[in-house]
Parts: sequence; structure tokens; C-alpha cells
Amino acid sequence: MPSVCFYFQVHQPFRLKPYDCFKIANDHDYEDEAKNREILDRVSKKCYLPTNHTMLNLIDKYQGDFKISYSLSGVLIEQLELYRPDVLKSFQALAETGCVEFLSETYHHSLSYLYSKEEFVRQVELHKAKIKKHFNQVPTVFRNTELIYNNDIANYISDLGYKGIICEGLDHILGYRSPNFIHYPPGNMKIKCLLKNYKLSDDIAFRFSNQGWDEWPLTAPKFANWAHQVAGNGETINLFMDYETFGEHQWPETGIFEFLQHIPGEIIKHPDFDFKTPSEVIRSYKARGEYDVNNLSSWADLERDLSAWLGNSLQHDAMERIYKLEKEVKESGDLNLINTWAKLTTSDHFYYMCTKYWNDGDVHKYFSHYNTPYDAYINYMNVLTDLEYVLEENKSEQSIKIRQLVDLVTAN
Amino acid sequence: MLGWEFPPLFSGGLGIATYGLVKALSPKTDIRLIIPQASANDLSNVNIIGLNQLTAQEIDLERVAFNFSFLNAKVHQLSVSISPYHYANQLIEDSQRNAFDALSTDQKSIDQINNIFSGKEVYGSNVMHKVYLFSKLSEEIAADGNFNVIHAHDWVTYPAGINIKHRTHKPLVLHVHALETDRVGGHARNEIYKVERRGMEEADKVIAVSHYTRQQIMEHYQIDEHKIEVVHNGIDPAGIVRTQHKLKDKLVVFLGRLTHQKGPQYLVETAEKVAQVYPRVKFIVAGMGDQFAPLLESSAYKKLGHHFIFAGFLSKAKVNELLALADVYFMPSVSEPFGLTALEAAQHFVPSVISSQSGAAEVMKSSLKADHWDTDKYANYIHALLRYNALHQNLSLGANHEIQHVTWEHAAEKVCGIYNQLYRN
Repeated sequence: MPSVCFYFQVHQPFRLKPYDCFKIANDHDYEDEAKNREILDRVSKKCYLPTNHTMLNLIDKYQGDFKISYSLSGVLIEQLELYRPDVLKSFQALAETGCVEFLSETYHHSLSYLYSKEEFVRQVELHKAKIKKHFNQVPTVFRNTELIYNNDIANYISDLGYKGIICEGLDHILGYRSPNFIHYPPGNMKIKCLLKNYKLSDDIAFRFSNQGWDEWPLTAPKFANWAHQVAGNGETINLFMDYETFGEHQWPETGIFEFLQHIPGEIIKHPDFDFKTPSEVIRSYKARGEYDVNNLSSWADLERDLSAWLGNSLQHDAMERIYKLEKEVKESGDLNLINTWAKLTTSDHFYYMCTKYWNDGDVHKYFSHYNTPYDAYINYMNVLTDLEYVLEENKSEQSIKIRQLVDLVTAN
Repeated sequence: MLGWEFPPLFSGGLGIATYGLVKALSPKTDIRLIIPQASANDLSNVNIIGLNQLTAQEIDLERVAFNFSFLNAKVHQLSVSISPYHYANQLIEDSQRNAFDALSTDQKSIDQINNIFSGKEVYGSNVMHKVYLFSKLSEEIAADGNFNVIHAHDWVTYPAGINIKHRTHKPLVLHVHALETDRVGGHARNEIYKVERRGMEEADKVIAVSHYTRQQIMEHYQIDEHKIEVVHNGIDPAGIVRTQHKLKDKLVVFLGRLTHQKGPQYLVETAEKVAQVYPRVKFIVAGMGDQFAPLLESSAYKKLGHHFIFAGFLSKAKVNELLALADVYFMPSVSEPFGLTALEAAQHFVPSVISSQSGAAEVMKSSLKADHWDTDKYANYIHALLRYNALHQNLSLGANHEIQHVTWEHAAEKVCGIYNQLYRN
């Protein structure tokens, strides 16, 4: 009995304000509060609120037969707490239905796994606590930032006690095999890999409104028909996408909400089909094949690699600089400083610096508030330079305090 | 082809550009090039006629009547304000003045013409006389109509182009390397502006060296956009050796005439701001012009003396030496039709901070651009290049790679396409 497994990524970074060289050593406040608030308001209005509303109605209508899952980044939840508690409440209402699962990820939506395991675990734990607090769930399935994945990551996540991990279904790894079965990393049966069916996922996320596509317009019956063809050769159709697909990337005028409203009914018209959350899929089906990924992969761009965040020397430089500060930042014991630093590990900052396609004015540009990747790098590095200055100041302040203490002691 | 500056005689980019284009065109098409002053060169397939070497075989002076009187009346008003490059040199050589006078009478001779077009001054305060004379002589020389297209470079040759067009009914292409509105500002409506505007109105095609210039032509000269084609200049490859300087300070280089157009006032403002956040910096200013004294004064007034080195006018070889050790190239031009120097800097692996109001900004994605008045942004960019090595390296390699595709061959191909189009019609 094949299942359709929906997982939606919900994330917004804390964007940095325009921070020029004159602010260094003068201004230690880095966030663009107005812009973050404005974007969150826009996306809440266009996507989060109407889509959550639709999801809640669907769950209500199908009385437990329609199930979905989310991964909300910690930095998104934090912004909802600050600016849009009403949206947070609507996610909580979904959690209360029992038909919605929340996945685990790094709180700061970072690439920390690649640079610091210590920080990675810290961010995963922070996120877990946040999910528990707001949604009263303890996640058992992990999704790494942008589905960055390889065998080592799977094994590491398995050692942390997770039962499942979300990853991209890569053609060059799968070959003739189908992504619609549970897989396992080589030699590790303790963790199950849920592979994204990128063809069907991208039909919704990217191609839905493309009038040049020969399948346009995509209707719910048509899509369900494609899904039903998996019957007999698959157990789980994993449809993973950004939540902003609904209303923000695909505008309401494209019919995306009508599509969404009709999908559950069309899918379960086939008596063998149902909806499951990732942890239910893992409980229900056996791992059927090995999924052997040595090189780091992701779900981004055509390359499905790390080049969107680590594709040029600027990105490498910025990334190395921020993690170089980790030890010093943490030794300061200053929680504000640690939090500020950790927000700078958010992957979006590095995505903005991507020079890969920016000439073509493509998707990278769409997601960036900077005019050029160079502006993104310079802004980030100026902020980092100030952070280094603050650390330096703290150190000298501390050494003055210690000296005073020593003087005091010796005077007595 | 009608040119004005041509190596070895040039004062700015026009000579370099005319030479580069003629050289790349010469294998593709026969060229008869009329210029004020010719000397030995390496161009084959090009018939160069220099008015300084004009002979009785090439022109029958008896057939030409000169009338400078309308201009003579204005000669004292011409002076620097109308000279395109505002040369301080206001001296009109007596022999030249006499020669102009003589040409209006029966005593005219080839020697007088040769005399007028000799000497080192390309423009000078009698430039209007020269332009008129050039137009009359060129018309005579080209009267045979033994060519398919007339191609004229910058305003000094436009009247000649128009004359030849009227005489021979051949199509006229005007090549805009710079506009009077670049040199003196968008409000310019002087004699030179009128010459440019009339020329572009008469032309069958106008070639702009950048999209930026095309925009300026449409905006300030109201020329039909369909008439204007963009052909970016090229740059000749050069063998480059970087040299490491031993100075503790980083070097920011400014190259160009010190005129309002090049934005020297923004240079000082930017330098002041950079020095605040990056004290170990020196700005090297190579070039001369009427803004030299104001620049010197304002840098002294702002107590920035130790951040500035004024190198004066440098030879090509010295410029190369300077670029070989520069850390950043800075071009804050108010209006820069192309900006070849930024590309030369890229050849030397020097990253650029340049004005958005420039053609170079179009061909160098890997440069940092700001509106010419935005000195905060300039300073932020220069600071970043001085402080963040990864950025410096990324942009110097990136720009160097990009300009490999900016060649005169590419430009010549586009120009040939325009010729063919006109020829067919």
C-alpha cells in the first residue's frame, strides 16, 4: 500500500542590515529588523496563514487520513515569536491535530555539520528544545540544511539516535532504482533514508505555473494519476518542497491553492493509497536498498551539490572566518554574543554570495536582497570584522578586571 | 575613415581606440584613413593620409575656398572652455595664425596646411579652425567617392563626415567615443554640442562605445534609438608581471586627466573616508588637468597630505609600472563613456572600484560599482578590497578573465556588420 509523504521546509533567515565599514567598531547591532519583519509579514500573508488554514481544513475534512510534516528552522520560529505569534499559533493548531509531524534540523539552518560537530550538535539540541516547547513533539527524523547529505552524515545522525533522515533522490546514485522505497546507508540498518522524488516534487514546486511546460496546466487528478502509477513499484512517494511554494513562489492566481485542496481527495481515490508522515513511513516499511553517497550532495540547483554555499573563494573565506571564531565566542560565556555568532552561521548568508548564475538573474537573485554577491560578502565580512572587534574588546576588559583583582589580592 | 588622435599623437583614449579598431578592421576591409597628423606605423592594408604630410598630388588646393572669418571673430572666446580637454595651453602659435589667415587668401599653400597639422598639440585653442580646415580638406580628398562607407570618430571629424556624405551620397557612420555632455555635464549646449548633435542627426548610424553612452545620446541629443548601435572597445593583450611593493601602506591608484569629468572631488572625499577606517593607505594620482590645484588644495585642507601622492602625467611605461604594484584601481568619473584604464588595471590583476556611470562597468561584472557621487559606497568598497584578501583575489582574477573576451577583433566584427548593413541598403 503506497503512501504519499509530504514534508515542507519553512525557513526565514535573520537578514543583516546594510553594514558598511564606518559601522565597524561603532555599531554592534547587525540585524535588519525592518526588512525581516516586512518579509515575514509578506510571506505570512501570502503563504503561511492561507496555507496553514487550507491544511487545517483538509486535515479536518479527511479526519486523520491526510497527514503532512514540516521542518521549521529555529531562526524562523524565533522570528514568529518576535513578530508574528499569530502565525506560530496557526502552526500549533496544526500540531494539535495529531496529523502533523515536525522534523529535526539545525536551529540556525546552518552548514555547521561540515565545520564543527560540537556546534552542529548544539544547534540540533537547541532546535529540538524549541520544537518540544511549541509543538510538544520530540522529532525522530532529521533533515539537514538544504538536504546536505552523505553516508557520514547519515551515520552520524544515526549515532545521535535518529530513526530516519531526509535526503535528495539522486539519479546518479539510484541509477535504474526508484526513490519510492526506503533506503539505508551502506552497512547501517539503524537509520532509514527517505529519498525525495524530485520529479513529482518539482512538478509542484517549480513547474506548476510554467505555461511552457507541456503538462501545463497541472491539475490534481492529473498529478494523482502520476502518483498512482507508482502502485506496484514503490512504497512511499516523498514530496519534499519549500512551504513558500504555496502562495509565494506559485501565486494564488496560478491555482496552486485549488490544486492543494483537491490533492488529498484525488490521491485516496485509489484504495491502495494513503498519506503518512516520515516517522510513520519509517515504521511501516522496510529498507529495501542501499543508498551509497560518498560525496556531499544537496537538493539545490541543477548540480545538487554544495556549490550554492561553497562554490567560490568568497564563500569559503567567509565560512572559514565565522567558524574560526567559535572557540573564542564560546569561551566568552556571553550568551548574547554566542547567539549573535550562531545566527551568522545561517546558510542564507553564504547563498547570497553565490556567483554561479547571478549574471542570468535567476533563482539566486530572486532570493537575495543584495544587488551583487560581492555586496553580500562585503556586508557579511564587515559584520564579522566588528564581531572580532567586540571579542577583542571583551578580552581586554576581562584582562583589566583580572588585573584589578590581582591588585586587590596582592594589596591585601 | 576619419580620425583625429592617432598614435603617436594622442591625449586620451580616442587615439588608442581609433588605432585599435583600424588595426582589427584592416584584415577585413580596405581603409582609407584621413587624420591630421600621420607618422610611421605598422598597419598594412590601410592607406593613411596625414594632413601634416599632404602633397599637391593628393589635393588640388585651387579648387578649395576657405573662409575662417566666421570663426576668426570668435577666436578669443574659444579658449579653454570650448577646448574638449581643457588644456591649459592657450597660446596660439603665430605661425599657425598666419597660416590660417593666408589660407583665406590667394597665397594659400600646402606648406601652410602641413604646418598647421604639425606640432604636438592635438586640439589647442584654435581647434575650431582645425576642425573646419580638416572638414574642407577631407571633403576634397574623398571627392572621388571611391569607398562604400564614411566612418568618423568623435566630434572633431563629424563636420568632415557630413561634408563627404553630402558630396558623395555615401552612408555616414559616426563613432561616439565621448560626448560634450560627458566633458562639461548634461547641460552642455555649446558649439561642440551643436556639432555633435547635427552630426548624429545627419548620420545613417551612430556607434556608441557603451550602452551608457547610447543612453546619454538618446537623453541629451534626442537621437532615434534605432539608429544607435553599441560596440564596446577592445583592449590589446599585454604581458603582465606583477611586482610586490615593499610599502606598509596599500596603494589605491587614480589615472586620468584631472578634470571635472573624472570626478577628482569625489576622489578626495572618498580618500578622506577610507583613511578613517583604513589609515595605512595611499592614493596615487597620475594625471594632470585644470582640477589639479583644487585637488591639491582640498587634500591639504582636509589634512590628507600623507595619504596622497601626486605623480603628474605619466608615460605609458610608467603607468604600467604603477599598475603592476597597485592594490586597487579607483575611477570615480562623473561620466565615462568607456573607461579603458579600468580594463588596463584588470590586465594587471588590479581590482577596480568604478563609477556606475561608465562603459567599463558594463564589460566588467567583477568590479565594484557605485554611483559617481556615492563616496560612502566607494569607501566601503575600497576598504573591503584592502582588508579582505579573498575579495581582492576573487575580483582581480575575475576581471582579468572577463577582459580576455573584450577584444578589438570582436569590436571590428560588429563594425563590419554595420558596414554591410548600410552597404546593402
